[in-house]
Amino acid sequence: MIHEYDTAIVGGGPAGICAALAAGKNGLKTLLIEERTFLGGQLIKQTHRFFGSEEEHAGTRGIHIANDLKSELEGMSNIDVMTSTTALGYYEDGILTALHDEKMIKIKPKSLVLATGAFERFLPFENNDLPGIFGAGAVQTLMNIYGIKPADKVLMVGSGNIGLIVSYQLIQAGVQVIGVVEAASKIGGYLVHASKLRRLGVPIMTRHTIKKAIGTDKVEGALLCELDKNWQEIEGTQKQMSCDAICLAVGLTPLADILSQMGCETTFIGELGGIVPKRTADLETTKAGVFVAGDLAGIEEASAAMLEGELAGLNAVKFVTGDERVTERIHHLKEELHGLRAGPVGEKIRYGLAQLFEDSVITSKKIESHEHDITRLAHTGIPSQENIDEKLPDEKRMIKPYAVIECFQEIPCNPCVISCPFGAIYIPKEDINQSPIVDFDKCTGCTSCISGCPGLAIFVEQRNPEQRKGTVSIPFELLNRPQKGDVVELLARDGQPIGTGVVKRILYGQKQDKTAVITVETDIDLVNKVRNIQLQRTGKKEVM
Amino acid sequence: MRIREHPILEFERGKKIQFTFNGNKIEAYEGETIAAALHAAGIWHYNESDVLKRPRGLFCAIGHCSSCLMTVDGVPNTRICVTDAVEGMVVKSENRGDIK
Repeated sequence: MIHEYDTAIVGGGPAGICAALAAGKNGLKTLLIEERTFLGGQLIKQTHRFFGSEEEHAGTRGIHIANDLKSELEGMSNIDVMTSTTALGYYEDGILTALHDEKMIKIKPKSLVLATGAFERFLPFENNDLPGIFGAGAVQTLMNIYGIKPADKVLMVGSGNIGLIVSYQLIQAGVQVIGVVEAASKIGGYLVHASKLRRLGVPIMTRHTIKKAIGTDKVEGALLCELDKNWQEIEGTQKQMSCDAICLAVGLTPLADILSQMGCETTFIGELGGIVPKRTADLETTKAGVFVAGDLAGIEEASAAMLEGELAGLNAVKFVTGDERVTERIHHLKEELHGLRAGPVGEKIRYGLAQLFEDSVITSKKIESHEHDITRLAHTGIPSQENIDEKLPDEKRMIKPYAVIECFQEIPCNPCVISCPFGAIYIPKEDINQSPIVDFDKCTGCTSCISGCPGLAIFVEQRNPEQRKGTVSIPFELLNRPQKGDVVELLARDGQPIGTGVVKRILYGQKQDKTAVITVETDIDLVNKVRNIQLQRTGKKEVM
Repeated sequence: MRIREHPILEFERGKKIQFTFNGNKIEAYEGETIAAALHAAGIWHYNESDVLKRPRGLFCAIGHCSSCLMTVDGVPNTRICVTDAVEGMVVKSENRGDIK
């Protein structure tokens, strides 16, 4: 029996689901197949709120986005979903074969969207095959899907967004992260993620690499060394760290196998993650009616994958029905994608895409350099005093509460703007990549923005010069949440203890959605230094 | 070890089940993969490499790296990281040497 569909989508992650929804909503008889027993791909492993545009799920945790998308799918009677189904091949007669229930099934779609995602890169070093060396995705799967503690003490290799985010998630799961190793001189991921780790006391070792895993049957430690600017080991810098797991977050490569089998042309573009399909700006491969989306089309953030999924789905609609009504939305999606990639952090993607096709929109825009010097932040995860001072109001204004947005890098993100009930936060030039600015005449210090910030980079301060005291409100989403009245240890941006304070207020309701807003009172001089708190323990001190 | 408390997530575990790994009883919850249940039981050492007999364990957990292949209910080369545990399942290491 051959199952006939208007479109078939391979891969049930963010890109595939969005492609299915786009196709289904426009009337196509749609089939979505997914290898795993469940849909959601990487989304269901993400406990953090997403960056990007509020219009496109930003400010919502990945797990919630996955659930929202899945329930949308369930409401569509013209979309069939087959999980535990592995695509095997696509042949000249237009037949897609797949393995389902240990039997081969045949599908004949009029168009095809491939959204197979990516797999993790490996890193060469001595003993890299020992049990206890895990891909970052494996660690996320264990702890965030199955609720199993991956290890006790982890060394993270790689400071891209995945390395930084997974390190933070490990700490949320009660695992100690002994450090993040990065061979480059700068932190690779969003610097707000790096700052989150630093204030928890996690060192980020730039210009360092792992030489060797220690252990015989499993990981017992790691041997690290420092690198010079030519990426060579600096003699005498070796140091050993004890850990029971080493987590590799050294990049992803598109899962492009099926493309080669089908005869879609591919090309190597390092900036996009390796071998990627040749495709148009409308995501069509060299085979008519075969589209790609998400990490398969080039490694990028999940927010881009969802937009690409919808774009591919709509182009499949156009291909099958010739319906021009989707054209306007297609145009809008391309603009959105362009916006996400327009800032400094989108540079790599832009270079990658420019090698694929001449797209004047993408290549012509000159990248504006940062208005402010963020070198220190990029190397350490901790902003310079100059950076911080620029975010503060004048001294007179400090007697009333005010928001301090410690977001210095230009990244595509805007939930803070929408979260402010007083319209006090704005993004210059309406460019989503610009850092937000607080209008202190409008800001009331209400703390609404704190729990909505995907980077947990907003704090509210107030100073009382007469009493030499002040308060600071911080976001908190770890276990051992302090209670009102507790005396807590105050930690600085580097995670070092700098004093004590008293918890005056805790907001932990539906609006905060598990990111508590905790206000502590302390000495006036500490107000702008405190960025984390922890419960005081008698007898033992635990680094969070 | 299973996570009991998490600041963001809640884990809904299925029915408690049992399977055997190299003859030893392992507890799992319905909906968990074999690899997840082994990890929860503290088992990291899965197989041995063909020639050098180096230990092999979990790496990618998404069915793409081949580090976790085992014989499950007589079927060799089963990817235990994407195969759900089932009551009474018989799971055996391949190239197992003296792995217990």
